Amino acid sequence: MTSLVAEAWPRPEPDAGGDPILVASGVRKTYRTGTVAVEALRGIDLTIRRGEFLAVMGPSGNGKTTMLNCLSGLDDIDDGTVIVDGQDIHALSDKRRTEHRARRMGFIFQSFNLIPVFTAEENVELPLLLIGAPAREARRRARAILDRVGLADRHHHRPTELSGGEQQRVAVARALVSEPAIVWGDEPTGNLDSSNAAEMLDLIEEVHRAGQTLVVVTHDATIAARAERLVRVTDGQITADGRPADLLA
Amino acid sequence: MNVLVVPIALLVAVALYDALRRPMLRRLAFRNANRRRGEAVLVLIGSLLGTAIIVASLLTGTSLKASIRDFARTQLGPVDETVHVSGTSSLADVAGAVAGTTPIAGTDGGPLTMVHSPATAWRAARGGRAAEADPKAEVSEVEYARARSFGGDPGATGFARAGDTPTGDQADVLRPLADDLRLKPGDRFDLLLYGTRRTFTVRQVLGQIGLAGYYTGRGTGSQSVWVAPGTIDAMASAGTNAAATPPDGLVLVSNTGGVFAGAARSAPVVDELRRRVAGIAGADVRPLKHDLLRDADLAGKSFSQLFTSLGMFSVLAGVLLLVNIFVMLAEERKKELGMLRALGMRRAHLVRAFGLEGTMYAIGSAVLGGLAGIGLGRAIIVVASSLFKQGGRRFGGLDLRFAAPGRSVVAGALAGLAISLVTVWLASVRIGRLNVIRAIRDLPEPPATTRQHTRSLILGAAGVLIGALMFASGVSTEAWFPAMVGPPVALLSLAALLRRWLPRRPLVTSVCLLVLAWGVGCFSLIPAVFKGVDIAAFIVQGVLLVASAVVLVTLNDEVFMRLASRMSGSSRALAARLGLAYPLARRFRTGMTLAIYGLVIFVLTMIATFSTLFGKEGPRLTAETRSGYDLVLDTNPANPATPGELLRQPEVAAVSTLTHGFPQFTAPGHPDRDRWALSGFDETLVARGSAPKLSKRDPRFASDREVFLDVLRHPGGVVLPSFFLQHGGGPPTSRLSIGEHVSVFDANGRARDLTVLGVVEEDMAFNGALVGKPLAGDVLGPQAVGDRAYVAVKPAVDPDTAARQLTARLVEKGGDATSFAKLVNDNLHEQQGFFRLMQGYLALGLVVGVAGLGVIMVRAVRERRRQIGMLRAMGFSAGVVRAAFLFESTFVALQGIVVGVVLALVVSYQLLVNSKTFGSQSLGFSVPWLPLLTLVGTALVFSLLSTLAPATQASRVKPAVALRVAD
Repeated sequence: MTSLVAEAWPRPEPDAGGDPILVASGVRKTYRTGTVAVEALRGIDLTIRRGEFLAVMGPSGNGKTTMLNCLSGLDDIDDGTVIVDGQDIHALSDKRRTEHRARRMGFIFQSFNLIPVFTAEENVELPLLLIGAPAREARRRARAILDRVGLADRHHHRPTELSGGEQQRVAVARALVSEPAIVWGDEPTGNLDSSNAAEMLDLIEEVHRAGQTLVVVTHDATIAARAERLVRVTDGQITADGRPADLLA
Repeated sequence: MNVLVVPIALLVAVALYDALRRPMLRRLAFRNANRRRGEAVLVLIGSLLGTAIIVASLLTGTSLKASIRDFARTQLGPVDETVHVSGTSSLADVAGAVAGTTPIAGTDGGPLTMVHSPATAWRAARGGRAAEADPKAEVSEVEYARARSFGGDPGATGFARAGDTPTGDQADVLRPLADDLRLKPGDRFDLLLYGTRRTFTVRQVLGQIGLAGYYTGRGTGSQSVWVAPGTIDAMASAGTNAAATPPDGLVLVSNTGGVFAGAARSAPVVDELRRRVAGIAGADVRPLKHDLLRDADLAGKSFSQLFTSLGMFSVLAGVLLLVNIFVMLAEERKKELGMLRALGMRRAHLVRAFGLEGTMYAIGSAVLGGLAGIGLGRAIIVVASSLFKQGGRRFGGLDLRFAAPGRSVVAGALAGLAISLVTVWLASVRIGRLNVIRAIRDLPEPPATTRQHTRSLILGAAGVLIGALMFASGVSTEAWFPAMVGPPVALLSLAALLRRWLPRRPLVTSVCLLVLAWGVGCFSLIPAVFKGVDIAAFIVQGVLLVASAVVLVTLNDEVFMRLASRMSGSSRALAARLGLAYPLARRFRTGMTLAIYGLVIFVLTMIATFSTLFGKEGPRLTAETRSGYDLVLDTNPANPATPGELLRQPEVAAVSTLTHGFPQFTAPGHPDRDRWALSGFDETLVARGSAPKLSKRDPRFASDREVFLDVLRHPGGVVLPSFFLQHGGGPPTSRLSIGEHVSVFDANGRARDLTVLGVVEEDMAFNGALVGKPLAGDVLGPQAVGDRAYVAVKPAVDPDTAARQLTARLVEKGGDATSFAKLVNDNLHEQQGFFRLMQGYLALGLVVGVAGLGVIMVRAVRERRRQIGMLRAMGFSAGVVRAAFLFESTFVALQGIVVGVVLALVVSYQLLVNSKTFGSQSLGFSVPWLPLLTLVGTALVFSLLSTLAPATQASRVKPAVALRVAD
């Protein structure tokens, strides 16, 4: 299988070990429920380079997903900065940050989160329509990438008519179709059986090889092992940052 | 009511048993209701509106009935029957005959004699106030001591504290007349009758109770005066008006049983009275109270039916909302219900858990709906009362009072409860049919099995046969229901039959189009079947049309999606796409909401169209009513204005007088004698080149005028109004045919056979049956005086100004003139008022629709929370998310509105232009743009407002929160 993203539409070769695409400094996040305050992130400093495949691991409830949400701009932060492509995303208004997300980020979640009333191709073309692509062009590119993820015969199927593995492929296609700067994955294989999980992992790795920057939160050591870099989060802090081979040993 | 009690008790008993004896079902039902309190409130609102509408409908009828029945208390008291004679010369003979040697069985004590006459009451100018007159006053005489003991209950007579009988120039004035003329004890005023005037002094003002309130004129307030016995005779003897009718001599009879129950004994008493007075010429027995209470029942029933029938659209909307909410509840809980089944819960228990929850809502909504119905009923009566006071033809002057007897409220609440219970239990049964695996895994329904196909084939074939038989029997027996419903049943069954071989969408689309065509055209295609149908026919037609249109629209909605998918990626286009996708994917709930909107907008548009078109009919109706004259003038029959006097008035160019009275009639389908107006006319009525417009006439005659001339030439002919012998409200229900025979009875009970030569569609002046003057004289006897005149004014004289001047100048004659234009416009005004009242009442259905849409959108936000989070994560702005929700609700509402408006306009056009359903006169058709735009605008604005909160809530969903899973 050749490079998925490059095959779907050309993009420049990634600058391996290139310039930082995301720089987070002193990111703090506290959740408050009534009088109870839980400090979920306690000063996260992290730099992600363009084309990097970063895995985030850590025990449950220690802030992995919160870190993903805060670094991607899905959630607000209480302190610190997150610079993506030179832009402090938390200094932007909600509207501008949303626009930024539409153009620069893609997401893959454990529970797929496809829009059930849309077909596979309608789901995939959404990000393109969102950034103003002509309807015909969006449809063409959606079909192309669905073909690339092995769903050529599933274009017109709705999510309920697809298996879990197929739904996650549609989610991957949707995350990649607008050529985002970073694709965030939150337990992307969490809802899949081992066979489908392995195929998904191949797909993610292929995407990375095509130059896509990937940040994946996972419990799964096999995913982490295939990443370039592994970050461990414990009690809302980064407690380890290095090569997976070293940290997983 | 009793019919409803058994099924309600059964369903409630099942729920009660489960609540007490099955803790798991109880927990499921109670906790689910408690978990979604907001939705529980919306469910209650949706179903309580239906109950409120039913209760209010019953109370409007009950109030009208009670208001009319109250005349028995305020104007008759113990009087049940009267024996009338014209003049007082034979009154003693009549009284003697009535008393006989033994009392009549069922009567309470002996008879009471009384003398009565119409009069004009006049008060001179004083203290800066101009002179005031009441041309509709009545004057009576009775011995007070005998009146007090009449009927056995002095309190019911109104004379309990009235003291002695007036003497000399003393007069006791009833409160309504005293208020109108500002009279108090000691004041002096004049009574004018028989061309004489006499001054009286007010001795006391009497309350309007019982016999003291006796009054035969229109309206609630008795404009009556009691004077010393012998006064009326003396004035009549001194009178100078030879054309005047003699005073009424009355012998009053009271039945045992009290003011209201006594009327039930009328039939044998009337028979005996007729037997006893048979030998006395002109003695006319009248079961006054029986007829009054019968009219009250008929009017109340007709009023209730009108409101209940039209309100049924809103009730249906409430039922659809309830079904929709329950199906949504089931969808939301699909997985947990599947799990419960997987854990071993039986299907029946699942149904009963839902049934228990629904029963709680149903009982709550019945109680609250009953209370809301009382408030709504009161509001309707307040508005209707102001319309009645304006004085139209039907209920003019009636003081409508609100009545909310517990029985009516309970009956309405039980009806609402029954509808809610049946709805929730049927919805629960549907919910209980879920497949465990498909429910847990949220899988779509599989295609039909061979068994299901076979069942469809059998049911389809049976349906086609049943539909065809219904149609055939409906046409042959001229029964509208089977004739109207048969073809749709056959067509839908045919679709089920052919579904296996033909593609679904074209097949169902074709069937829906055919049903629509049938629904629109059935009134014109088989007019004989739909002639004179009641409101129920229009309800069934509306339901058929809206149902088929909704199926048609929801089935073919993809065309909008295809259009939207071609739009470029602007945020507006994306919002539209999202907004369209959900309604198209959830066809059931979209269809139900469409149906709610469609039904309500359909009936509101119909009423708006009819109201606008009828409102424009004033000039036409005036032209068709006036017979070349300009105004109608009523004078006091005890002192009528003669044609000569009228022609001497400076404004008057021509006059045609009519004799007017209320004899008894029988007619085909109406075998019991019943009083109705009769007017005698002469050739002057048609001397000005035209005649009252006839909606039907004997084909032997080339014009309406010829019919009237023939009635004059051959006394056996009659022209009848379309409302002949119809005591309730609503459209004409009698199907008078040319050539049919009716009988009219004179005071001695002699019948005269009359042949119907023509039918007047709009009897605005309430002339009643029109015959030649000689025949009217024979029938009415001495009562046949020319107290009604059609008057033509001179050129350049304004009829309304002339009417005012004639009324003022002829005050001594009791003159009351109204231009035909005003007469027609007053009636149309009353009609328009009722149309507005109905629109306001039916707009409650719109509340159901808006509430339904609000519920759907609230649930949509909850259901799609994760999806909204995902959209926001992908870069959909809050504005696009909000716009998508608003677009979705607008799309659904607009579709429903368009369905309702288009269907109503097409049906209205068809009914008004191409059918004879509303009379033989084809009415012009025009779209009532302003009312329609107001209606559509209001519906859309409120629909948007109902969605604004959930749409804003959706736009504020934090993606990170919505998408969060434990990490």
